[in-house]
Amino acid sequence: MAKGYNDPAMEKKFQDRYYHAADNPEFTKEVERIGRTMAHMCYQCGTCTGSCPSAPRSSYRIRKFVRRAVMGLEREALTDPDLWLCTTCYSCTDRCPRGIAPTDIIMAMRNLAFKWDIVPRNFLKTIQLIYTTGHGVPNNDVNRAARVKLGLDAEPETTHKYPEFLPGIQKIMDHYKMKENADRILSEGEH
Amino acid sequence: MHNGMHEYAFFLGCIAPNRYPGCEAAAIKTSRNVGIELLPLKGASCCPAPGAFGAVDLSVWYAMAARNIILAEEMGKDIALICNGCYKSIYEVNERLKEHDDLRDQVNEVLAEVDMEFKGTIDVYHLAELYYDPKICGVEKIRESVVRPLDGTKIAVHYGCHLLKPIKERRFTDAENPMWIEELVDALGAESVQYRNKMQCCGAGGGVRGFDLAHSLDITNEKLINVTEAGADAITEVCPFCQLQYDRGQIEIKEKFGIEWNIPVLHYNELLGLAQGMSPQELALDLHGIDCKPFLDKIL
Repeated sequence: MAKGYNDPAMEKKFQDRYYHAADNPEFTKEVERIGRTMAHMCYQCGTCTGSCPSAPRSSYRIRKFVRRAVMGLEREALTDPDLWLCTTCYSCTDRCPRGIAPTDIIMAMRNLAFKWDIVPRNFLKTIQLIYTTGHGVPNNDVNRAARVKLGLDAEPETTHKYPEFLPGIQKIMDHYKMKENADRILSEGEH
Repeated sequence: MHNGMHEYAFFLGCIAPNRYPGCEAAAIKTSRNVGIELLPLKGASCCPAPGAFGAVDLSVWYAMAARNIILAEEMGKDIALICNGCYKSIYEVNERLKEHDDLRDQVNEVLAEVDMEFKGTIDVYHLAELYYDPKICGVEKIRESVVRPLDGTKIAVHYGCHLLKPIKERRFTDAENPMWIEELVDALGAESVQYRNKMQCCGAGGGVRGFDLAHSLDITNEKLINVTEAGADAITEVCPFCQLQYDRGQIEIKEKFGIEWNIPVLHYNELLGLAQGMSPQELALDLHGIDCKPFLDKIL
């Protein structure tokens, strides 16, 4: 299968943005601030890529992303779909001889990509579910029946049973306009 | 301690209560048999998912995890949980907010809007580490609680990533070749088996399962090859998301790649439940995608 997002709305954005701009030194600082790790200490040994379970089955190279972070190659980093192939297993972070957390560099880049409206739909749907139910994986009827058979209440002792806690959660997410942005980006792909 | 029991606020997460309720039921019952009482943590939400949610905005991830922690602070109880994803969110955010003033101030500023404040008064534990800790339970007490030894079974242990990694931010000492869950498995009368690349990820995390299922399953498939080569009758783990990936994942692997494994996948609490005499019905093993019967036939 060809490399891509398989999402026409997102591909269209890249027609304007893909590989068009030069480096942005602020990008390095932003990645280091959000990821709370010193990307610029990297000497490109490749231990990270060698430890990565995603590397052998894709073109995703964590070392390349760390280099992009250091070089300030913002657009190249944030538009590459490989950004979303990190399983966050943290093997690279444990093994990095420079004490960098490459996994958190990826997480920081994903956060920055969201600010550019670049984020796969499954992430946005998880946000909507948490906003409306409190759970990324909510309860369903088959499960409710199984819970009752086990002697548990149909709804767990969470926001499911106590929905009065939901407004607090929604207020926290609204503070960051997270749901609003997720809704907007998702709706762009629907027409 | 209350009535001789170590009490914890039980943080449920999503996948255990909403997909594998047997894990939740088993955790409550099995822990009670070894002196641990899990109390309801009312109004908790998704941890929230460190990969799928944290990838979008880490600031919100900190604030939402802190809200869950504060619910336990208000109870005055430490948290116990049974999922590695929850462990990363709840344990790590708790430790980071205790340590870094800038993060704590940032989070508390937002939480003030909902009349909450992170104080840093509790600790967070995975139930598996409480089982292993001799001050709370310990391997011997687990062994003594067994009424139906899992004799003659070979079990491959999957630790999962976020329980142990990043190791610098954990209280464990070894993430390259740990053996303590094997000790907990062997205490049930089963034989734990070692297999190639034991510490490799299950493939589910970081939102990859939702973003590129085939890629994620290919990682799982590699693990299944290695587990099968070692002759395991079942896989055990301490994370319902890893469980989902191995269990439902085997069905998806069959559909997508035409490869059939049929390896039962049981959370350590389900395994412990069986060893303590709970029936497969009490553990809702019928909700598993992969039939546990070949494994159950060996022990029942």
